[in-house]
Amino acid sequence: MGEQISRLMDGELDGAEADAAFRELKKSEGVAEWACFHVIGDVLRASGEPSPGFSLRFAARLAEEPTVLAPRPRESRRLPFVWAAAATVAAVMVVGWVAVSTLDPQPAVVAKAREAAAVRAAQSKSPPVSPDYLLAHQEFSPTMQIQGVGPYLRSASAGGTDGRP
Amino acid sequence: MVRGDGLGHGLGVALARAAVLGLTALAAVPVLAEDAGPWLARAAAAARQLNYVGTIVYQHGGHVETSRLVHLNDAGEEFEKLVNLDGPAREVIRSRGEVRCYYPDARVVRIEPRTFRNAFPSLSPQQQKALSEFYELRKAEAGRIAGLDTQAWVFEPKDGTRYGHKFWVDVATGLLVKARIFDDRDEVVEQFAFTDVAIGARIDRELVKPTWPPAPPGWQIRQAGPGDVEMSDTGWVLTRVPPGFVKIVEGFRRLRDAREVAHLVYSDGLVAVSVFVEPVGGARHPIGLSTQGGINIYIRQMDENLVTVLGEVPAVTIRQFANSVARR
Repeated sequence: MGEQISRLMDGELDGAEADAAFRELKKSEGVAEWACFHVIGDVLRASGEPSPGFSLRFAARLAEEPTVLAPRPRESRRLPFVWAAAATVAAVMVVGWVAVSTLDPQPAVVAKAREAAAVRAAQSKSPPVSPDYLLAHQEFSPTMQIQGVGPYLRSASAGGTDGRP
Repeated sequence: MVRGDGLGHGLGVALARAAVLGLTALAAVPVLAEDAGPWLARAAAAARQLNYVGTIVYQHGGHVETSRLVHLNDAGEEFEKLVNLDGPAREVIRSRGEVRCYYPDARVVRIEPRTFRNAFPSLSPQQQKALSEFYELRKAEAGRIAGLDTQAWVFEPKDGTRYGHKFWVDVATGLLVKARIFDDRDEVVEQFAFTDVAIGARIDRELVKPTWPPAPPGWQIRQAGPGDVEMSDTGWVLTRVPPGFVKIVEGFRRLRDAREVAHLVYSDGLVAVSVFVEPVGGARHPIGLSTQGGINIYIRQMDENLVTVLGEVPAVTIRQFANSVARR
């Protein structure tokens, strides 16, 4: 199922397959997979080291913070849409925090995510492809017959994977 | 009144539709994909039989490269020289059934046997049917390219399994002077075009000779093994072949380092997908997806076998092929 959720996140699923993956996301293991993959994504994009227990600690510290009574902004009446939008953002953030704190990745999960991220990072770097395969393929490709030079352009291309001898 | 309005509205829509259809008809005349057979065959023959020399611009994934091409047909024997004009020098020489690629910066010559298969003249009725079932062929615009009067043809795919193809052929000789592969968002995946070309010119043999001796001293010679596929049952099957693709080749072949590889080829009549399966033991190999111009390549490891799938189709199709490889 992990693979299906991963593919769903990559936008590779449609129709029945996607529906099945969404059903899986309603279960706690599915949600955990989902969170795990997002941690992987964060690591891949180097958007910061996931710190175990971060959201729980943050929630606790936030609760201890004194409430700051900010002065009423003078411009408030002139900015109804902005405030409406802000309210929505706040609501989304609350929902977001609840979701994140229940999904707080455990150290083992983070370790697993790092490992998976390393694998995915290695995979996202295109693997080297021997020109043998391309040359063996092109003799059978119908369009290459009319292009005449098409396949050789690929071979002669210095910028492509096949730039190597 | 209400009824009248409804009629009027309906008529307006119908007229608008007719106008749109009329415009579309002017821009592109739908024809049966079977009709592509003759001109595809003519283009394939022209590419082999004519003498031509020109400059080609090759575009792929944001790269633009220019090459010089000379093609000579000397009493039925073909000679070809392709030299890239940008970046590290590469020279491809085709003559006497082999292809030599010179890489002067690396001091390497690769030598490949080259078997010619005449695909389009022998389009089977089954393949022709597949063509019209999975592509919509349109006769597109007539226009000038590289100083030649050309006619464009478009193969629009009917599903997301394949790319679209647009071909511009020289009206006088049938030679393909521009070709484009585009994806489902109409974005160019790969394109080549002559910017200038002289067809039917007298070409001196000197012009198709390599710049270097056949085996330059101090260079590494990489000779490919016997090139042909020995047809046989490989023991491998594909459980979910995308619609329209039929198996045209199955057998074993030897690649350069003499390893024996199972090679299966599937074609929809216009493009092909190659599936290679080879035993690699327990060794781990780099896997994943890569792209080279219009070709997508996907490598996966299946127990002790390495599966390499490539072809001029979208990555999702390549993956479907790769993920459906199984033991018979």
